[in-house]
Amino acid sequence: MKQVGNKQHVFSLKTRLQRLKRDGNKWSVFTLAIVFFLALPIMFIGVKLFSGPGETWSHIVDYLLPEYIWNSLYLVLVCSILALIFGISSAWFVSRFEFPLRKQLEWLLILPLAIPSYIVGYAYAGIFDYGGSLDLLFRQMDFDFIRIDIMNKAGLAFVLSISLFPYVYVSARAFFLNQANNLFEASKMLGVSEGKSFFKLMLPLARPAIVAGLVLVWMEVLNDYGAASYYGVNTFTTGIFRSWFSLEEPETAVYLSALLIAIIFALILFEKWQARKVKFTSAKTNSTQMQRRVLTKSMKCLLFCVVFLPVLLGFVLPLLQLIYWAVLTASTVFDLKFLITSLQSFGIAMASSIITVFFALLLIYFSKWSTLRFIKNIARIGVLGYAIPGAVIAIGIMLPTLALDKWLIKILGDFGITSGFIINGTLIALFYAYAVRFLAVAYNPIDSTALKVDSSISDSSKVLGVGNLKTFFKIEFPLIKTGVFSAIILVFIDVMKELPLTLILKPYHIDTLAVKAFEYASDEMVMEASIPSLFIIFTAMIPVIFLNKLLIKK
Amino acid sequence: MLTIESLSKSFDNGKSYALEDVTFSLKAGQVCAIVGESGSGKTTLVRLIAGLERPDLGTVKMDGKVMASLGKFVQPEKRKIGLVFQEYALFPHLTVLDNVLYGISKVKNKKERAQKMLTLVGLEDMGQRYPHQLSGGQQQRVALARALAPEPELLILDEPFSNLDAMLRTQLRNEVFDIIRKTKVSVLFVTHDTQDALSVADEILILQNGKVVQKDAASNLYVNPNTLYVASLFGSTVRINKNLQNAFKCPLKETCCHAIRNEKIKVNPSSGDFDCEYITSAKVIKKIELGDSVQLLLKLESGEQLTVMTQDKNIEDTINIGFNSKDILEFDQER
Amino acid sequence: MKKLLLTITAISLLVACKNEGEKKENSTVQEASKEQVVNVYTHRHYESDQDIFERFEKKTGIKVKVINASADELIQKMKMEGAQSPADVLITVDAGRLTRAKDLELLQSIDSEILKTSIPEHLRDVDDQWFGLTKRARIIAYAKDRVSPEDLSTYEDLINKKWKGKILVRSSSNIYNQSLMASIIANDGDEFAKEWAEGIVANMGRSPKGSDRDQVKAIVAGEGDLTIVNSYYIGRMLNSPDPEEVKAANQVGLYFPNQNDRGTHINVSGAGVAKHAPNKENAILFIEFLISEEAQQIFTNSNYEYPVLANVPPVETIKNWGNFKEDDLALVKLGENNKKAVLIFDEAGWK
Repeated sequence: MKQVGNKQHVFSLKTRLQRLKRDGNKWSVFTLAIVFFLALPIMFIGVKLFSGPGETWSHIVDYLLPEYIWNSLYLVLVCSILALIFGISSAWFVSRFEFPLRKQLEWLLILPLAIPSYIVGYAYAGIFDYGGSLDLLFRQMDFDFIRIDIMNKAGLAFVLSISLFPYVYVSARAFFLNQANNLFEASKMLGVSEGKSFFKLMLPLARPAIVAGLVLVWMEVLNDYGAASYYGVNTFTTGIFRSWFSLEEPETAVYLSALLIAIIFALILFEKWQARKVKFTSAKTNSTQMQRRVLTKSMKCLLFCVVFLPVLLGFVLPLLQLIYWAVLTASTVFDLKFLITSLQSFGIAMASSIITVFFALLLIYFSKWSTLRFIKNIARIGVLGYAIPGAVIAIGIMLPTLALDKWLIKILGDFGITSGFIINGTLIALFYAYAVRFLAVAYNPIDSTALKVDSSISDSSKVLGVGNLKTFFKIEFPLIKTGVFSAIILVFIDVMKELPLTLILKPYHIDTLAVKAFEYASDEMVMEASIPSLFIIFTAMIPVIFLNKLLIKK
Repeated sequence: MLTIESLSKSFDNGKSYALEDVTFSLKAGQVCAIVGESGSGKTTLVRLIAGLERPDLGTVKMDGKVMASLGKFVQPEKRKIGLVFQEYALFPHLTVLDNVLYGISKVKNKKERAQKMLTLVGLEDMGQRYPHQLSGGQQQRVALARALAPEPELLILDEPFSNLDAMLRTQLRNEVFDIIRKTKVSVLFVTHDTQDALSVADEILILQNGKVVQKDAASNLYVNPNTLYVASLFGSTVRINKNLQNAFKCPLKETCCHAIRNEKIKVNPSSGDFDCEYITSAKVIKKIELGDSVQLLLKLESGEQLTVMTQDKNIEDTINIGFNSKDILEFDQER
Repeated sequence: MKKLLLTITAISLLVACKNEGEKKENSTVQEASKEQVVNVYTHRHYESDQDIFERFEKKTGIKVKVINASADELIQKMKMEGAQSPADVLITVDAGRLTRAKDLELLQSIDSEILKTSIPEHLRDVDDQWFGLTKRARIIAYAKDRVSPEDLSTYEDLINKKWKGKILVRSSSNIYNQSLMASIIANDGDEFAKEWAEGIVANMGRSPKGSDRDQVKAIVAGEGDLTIVNSYYIGRMLNSPDPEEVKAANQVGLYFPNQNDRGTHINVSGAGVAKHAPNKENAILFIEFLISEEAQQIFTNSNYEYPVLANVPPVETIKNWGNFKEDDLALVKLGENNKKAVLIFDEAGWK
C-alpha cells in the first residue's frame, strides 16, 4: 500500500474535477448541444409552468379532472390488455406455427399502423351507425332491432387498441423470431408442455421487447385527440384542447400537459419497478430461427381465423368502409391537385424521417463516445417529445423560433434586406417539430439494434487504430442498418399520419393528406375524408411492407 | 515497456472497487499471465491498459510515455496495442481478409502483410470466407492475425481460449503462443486457468478482489506462494489448523499461518520405506479410482477430514499418513 | 424496391421544394413588380370556397394564399407572430372567435361603404372589425313519427320534464353549442342558463358524442326524439352522396324555435382584416368580394348556408323550410359570453 487513505482520495472533489477535465470531450459537448436543441420547445413549455395555472384551474379540478384521469387510465388499461392479447397471440402464432397464408398475414398484421387511429374511429362509427354498413346488413337479415353503439368509452378503447396493437406485435415477433428458439427448445426438452413453455418462459423473456411496444401504445392512446373527441370521451388531451381554446387559457393547458407527462412517467416507472427483478442480459449468441410446427387441418383453420381476426378488425373492415365512402365521393374530391398533395405528403414525410433518424443517430453515438457517464442519462431527455401532444410541441416550437425569426428580421432589416419569417411558416419549423416529436420513434429501434452489436466489436476497431467516426461508418452502421431503416420507416408512417402539429406549423400552399382528411372530417364530411385517408394508407403501406421484408431478412 | 502505478477503478462511485491500487510492470518481449477468478478485475485491468476504460486514479505508461493518468488520456486507437477478445469480436459483415486488413489500411504493402498474417496463423486459404463460416478455433486465429497485423507493441489476450473445448484448447494455446513468440511482441494473457498460465507465461500476476496478491515467475509461485489463496490456485492445499497440528504433533510458530499441499501428504506404503517427520493415523472413508492412482478420503481421530493421493492399490482400512517440514508453506497471518 | 422508394422521395421532395421555391420567388417578385397577394387564415375548408377564391383571383389578379386550420389555432398563431404576421384576413365559422380575435387586438376597423350597407348591423362588429359572411340557424330536428311540432316551442322549453330521455345533443366542446349557450346567457341571464344546461343534461337520451349529423341519424334510429342541429348540416345531408343519409334527413322534421319571441338563434361565418395586414387594400377587396352577389350565391348553393345579403335568395333546399324570424342579438355577445358558457357546461356536467 503506497498511499494511505487512497480510497478517500479517489473520489475527492479535486480528483473528480481532474477526471471531468480529462474525460470531457467534444462528443460530450455535442451531445449536450443536441439535447438542448431537442428539448428547447419542451423547456419553453416547462418555464410556463412556473407562471402558475390560469384562473379556471380550480374549476377544472372541481368538475373535469377526475373524469380526465379516470377516462385516461381506463383507456390505457383496456387498450393495454387488448393490445397485448392481439399483439402477443398473433406474434407467437406466426412465429411458432405453420398455417395457410401465414407469410401474408405476417405483414398484414402490421398494416393497421398505416391507418391513423382517428380515421379508424370514423370508419367504425360509420360501420355501426344508423344507416351504416352493419345496420344495412342487419336490415337485410331482418335483425334490425339489433343496434350496437360503439361511440362510447369501451368502443374507443376497442378502436384504439385494434389500430395500435401492431406496436406490440412487431416487437414481440422480432423477439420470438430471432432470440427465443434455443431457450424454447431447451424448455421443450425438459418435458415442459408447449403452453407452459410459452407462459413460463417465452412471455417473461419477451417482456422487455413487449413493454417497449406497449409504451408506444400508451403514448399514442394518451395523445389521441381525433377519435376521443368524436366518440365523446373526455381525456387529458381533449382537456388540453378545451382549456386552451374554449377556456382561452394556455397556462391551464400547459398545466394539464405537465400532468399528462407525469402520468406517462409514472406508468413507465411503474413498469420499471415491476420488472426490477427480471433483468436479463439479452442472449447475444445468434439463436437459430424458430422451427414452425405443422398442425392438423382443423387446427390450421382455427389458427388462421385467430390470426386473421385482428387484421380483419384493424385493417380490412375500416378499409372496406373507407373504400365504400370513397366510391360515393370520388368525383368531388379527386383531382390533379390532390395528386400533388399526395406527393408533397410523401416528400415531407420521407425528408423529415431521414432528418429525425439522423438526430437519433447523433444522440445515440455522441453520448456513447462521450465517456462521461452522466451524459448518457442526459441524452435520454432528448426523447421526451413523444410523450407530449403535438399541439403543445407546435406551440413550444413557435415560442423560441418566432423570437429568433423576429430577431433575424431585425438584423436583416439593419442591412436593408426585408424578409418574411425564415423559420416559421417554412419547412424548417415543420422538420424541427417532427424531429422533436418523433425522436423516440427513431431512437428506440436504433438503440436496441445498437445494443445487440457487442461492445467488443467496436472496441476491437478502436484498438486496431480506427477512430470513432470511421468505426461508425465502417463497422457499426453496416451492423445496425436494419435498425436504421426500420426507424426511418416508423417515423415516416407517423409523420404521414401526424395532424395537430402539421396544422399549426405547415407552410402556405403545402398540404398534407392528413390535413386534407382532417379538414373534411372536422366539418362532418367524414365520407369525403375517405379518399385522403386511403391515400395515407397506401403511401404508408409501401414502407410497412418494406419494413417487414427487413425484419424477415434479419 | 508497460508500467502500471496504483491503478484504481470503481464503477459505482467508490462503493466498491473493481480494481484497487494495482501496481506492476512488464518487460519487453515477456509474456505475463494475469490470473484470477471471474470478478477479480482481470478484464477491467486490461481494458484500462487498452484505453477502453478510464482509470479513477493511477497511471498507465508505455515505454515511459503516459497513456492514462488523472490529467491525461490517450485514445485506444493511438496506443499500438493488439487485443483479442474472449468472443473474438470479428466484424461479421467483413471477410476474413478484410478483417485482417482493417487495422492496417494505411500501411504500404497491406495486402501482402495481411496474407502473411493469415499464413502465419495457417488460414491462408480462408481469406474470402466470412467469420460465421469458420469454426471457433479458426475464428480465434483470425482474431489473432487481425490483432498482430498492425505490429502492436503489446498484445493483450482476454480469456482467449475459454470458449473452446478442452482438447482444442491445449492444442490451440500451444499453436497461438508459438506464433506469438515468432513475433517477439510483449504479451498480457488474461486467464482463469492456472495450467494455461503456467505453461506459457514468464511471469504470473495474481488478482483477488481487484488487488494484486502476488507477481512472480511461474516456477516460484508454486514454491513460494504469498497467501493460502495463491497456493490453492496451483493445487489443492490444506491449512494446518490447531487440530491438524496436534494430530501430526508438529511444532509451529503461533504468529504465522501454515499450510500443506495435499499432494505432499504421503501415505504409508504397504511395502517399502515411509520416512516423514510428522505422522498420524487415519481411517479411510472412501476410495476413488483414478486409473493410475487412487484418491482417498480420510478421517483423523480428531474428526478432521483430509484428501490424499497414492499409487498404492492395496490400502488397508486404517493407515498412517505424514509430511516433512520442508514442504510446509508459511504465510503472514493477516494475509 | 429501395431505388423505387428513393426515386419517389426525390420527386416528391422536388415538388415540395418547388412550391417552397415558388413561394419565396413570389415574395421577392412581390417586392419588384408588386405582384398582388392576399394571405388568408381560414377555418372554412369547403371546396366551394376554393371556387370563390379562384373567381376572385381571375377578377382582380390578386393571388389568394390560404392557411387552413381551426380558428383557435389560427388565432394563437397570429398572436405569436405579432407585428410580423403575414396574415391579411382571418375567416372563422362563428362570431365568438372573431370577437376573441378582436379582444386580442388581432383585427382592425375597416371603413368600407359596401360592407356597411350590405351587412345588417347585428351581423357585424360594432367597430367594424369583422363582418358576417353567411348565416347558420341552430334549429330543432325531431322524429316525425314520435313528436308533434305543436309540442315544440322554444329552446327554453326543452328542459320540460316531458322530454326526459328524449333529447340528443353533441358535446359542449363544439363551438355551435357554446354559442347557443352564450345567447341563452345573454337573453335569459346566468342563473337560468345554468338551470337550462342542467335541465338539458337531465333530459338527455345518451351522453353527448358524435357530430350534428350523427345526432340526426340517431334520432331516426330511435335513440331519442329530438336534437339541436345546425341548419346547413341538414342541407348537406339532404344532398349527401350516401343514400342512407338522405333517407335519414328526410325522416326528421325541422322546427325553428322561439318564433313567437326573440327568434331562432343564428350564428355567422365571418371575416376580419388582420391588424398587421401587409396587404390591407387587397384584404378589403377580398372581403367585399365575399359579400358580392356572385360569392354569396356560391356559399348558399354549395354549402346550404343562409346568405347575409338580403337580395340573394337561399338555395332551393333551405328555401323550402320557409322564412323564419331570427334572433337579432348582437353577435358580439356570443364572444363575450363564450367562456362563461363553457364553465356553465362543465358545472352542469354537459360533457
